[in-house]
Amino acid sequence: MTFTQARTLAAQVRADFPILHQEIHGKPLVYLDNAATSQKPRVVLDALQEYYQSYNSNVHRGVHTLSAKATDAYEAARDKVAAFVNAAAREEIIYTRNASEAINLVAYAWGMNTLQPGDEIILTVMEHHSNLIPWQFVAQKTGAVLKFVELTKTQELDLDHFTSLLSDKTKLVAVVHVSNTLGCINPVEEMIALAHRYGAKVLVDACQSVPHMPIDVQAMDCDWLIASGHKMCAPTGIGFLYGKLNLLRAMPPFLGGGEMIADVFLDHSTYADVPHKFEAGTPAIAEAIGLGAAVDYLNGIGMDAIHAYEQELTTYLFQQLAQLPEVQTYGPRPNSRADNRAALASFTTGSVHPHDLSTILDQAGIAIRAGHHCTQPLHRYLGAQSTARASLYFYNTRDEIDTFIAALKEAIDFFGSIFG
Amino acid sequence: MSLDNLRDLYQQVILERYKKPRNRGKTDPVDRYQKGHNPSCGDTIELTLKFNEAGDRIDDVKFEGEGCAISMASADLMAEALRGRSPAEALEMVQKFQAMMRGEAEFPQEFRKLNVMQGVAQFPVRIKCANLSWHTLKAALELAQDAPEFVSNE
Ligand SMILES: Cc1ncc(COP(=O)(O)O)c(C=O)c1O
Repeated sequence: MTFTQARTLAAQVRADFPILHQEIHGKPLVYLDNAATSQKPRVVLDALQEYYQSYNSNVHRGVHTLSAKATDAYEAARDKVAAFVNAAAREEIIYTRNASEAINLVAYAWGMNTLQPGDEIILTVMEHHSNLIPWQFVAQKTGAVLKFVELTKTQELDLDHFTSLLSDKTKLVAVVHVSNTLGCINPVEEMIALAHRYGAKVLVDACQSVPHMPIDVQAMDCDWLIASGHKMCAPTGIGFLYGKLNLLRAMPPFLGGGEMIADVFLDHSTYADVPHKFEAGTPAIAEAIGLGAAVDYLNGIGMDAIHAYEQELTTYLFQQLAQLPEVQTYGPRPNSRADNRAALASFTTGSVHPHDLSTILDQAGIAIRAGHHCTQPLHRYLGAQSTARASLYFYNTRDEIDTFIAALKEAIDFFGSIFG
Repeated sequence: MSLDNLRDLYQQVILERYKKPRNRGKTDPVDRYQKGHNPSCGDTIELTLKFNEAGDRIDDVKFEGEGCAISMASADLMAEALRGRSPAEALEMVQKFQAMMRGEAEFPQEFRKLNVMQGVAQFPVRIKCANLSWHTLKAALELAQDAPEFVSNE
């Protein structure tokens, strides 16, 4: 596949996504809920179909042909993911069910076994519940203390506040790379360098960055990084944990069962080396292979191209939203290159509640999200009970943004009309 | 956009009640107090009831809360419809309302205002919005021993 400058990226890829070509309530679907989950290209759907149709078999267990083929494909996908985030070794990629499970893995295998009363975990007020609740569990169990980085006036991570929270007591920093609500891109490289000076480990929740921009875990120097496949063109049921090899090796297993063992006796066992130590039981084989296909697909387009196109969309989206005085957006305004935020907008309107807005837009074929987007503490911090969110991916177009803005305006007028 | 469907859902009465509710606040005194919420969307309601001296008639109903037009209008209309009813009658109305949301019933003439909520039945994902206040009312009246601080309507 070669991509030309002459046509927008979206125009060149839309045909790859069968689901996009349908009508909802008689209107062409405009899918703007990509931060919740992305759509899947045909190559990913085909990979699932092909696996089940021609080589479905359990992995690492059989010597027969199909099992060998399934194992090869499953492990090849791991290589693809490792290369995609530039891990130093393939063993540094652990498959999980989703991002939440990956965070829980670190919380249980590392946090529960390592942290002591009085140790400090630094999080931010913008964390997704998935990167908050597991650490609440750890704090409750170990006596570790949670600290929270607050926001600046422009609703970005307050780096000075972060710096002031760091101390010798800091043992872990767990931070979202791109906020799924504010859309801000957090300065994780800088935070990691600062945290490492105090000997603290850093986990990066990269759910909203890995699908949208090039990620290099070695350059970032994070200790762990997690993401979910379903937000990056892959199926649901598969996510991954990246961890530095020495750290993963030092961590005890999370779940016990088949696949993760070396030698089993009735009263004790020894465990397999990473990554298998953390992959108990029959894994999501088809989904892992689907993730590999998704990575191939994204690489075919190029993460730089995806990121650049989404930056254009971001600029356009915020320009258009600014035309509606009723609309208040959250998170930083895009700068001139729109390289300070992601292609999503959380917003409220003066008169239409986000849920009502979501219902009204749905009648126009437009899918947006309404609610707290699993960031309830952040919404409390912002003083908003809920927000509406339009989140874009590289297959969205300017025309779709126009359709969305027109419908949004109509909804505001419709609610306003009652009172004149 | 297909405004016809939407006009069924967002009838004038509903939008008016959302903008200018008539029954917001707290009863004086507060004989019953119950909080309810829809955790996935964040809508919340605090319902207060005042009874007559014998405790067999609801004299006043008020609510506070935050939520969408459907949940807030539903609470406002409910509050009005309950005045002068016995707790047993109110519980029957809860059942009737929930049946209406399933498209299986409607209210008789004396409660016809509540029938404006019927349009919600066409929007399955919004039924929990309309039901929130009624679900909370049920908990307030039944005074379950083990009721949590918030009753969840999901
Ligand atoms: C920033 C962030 N972290 C974590 C998650 C959790 O992902 P999952 O539900 O796939 O575990 C999400 C997605 O909802 C997210 O946006």
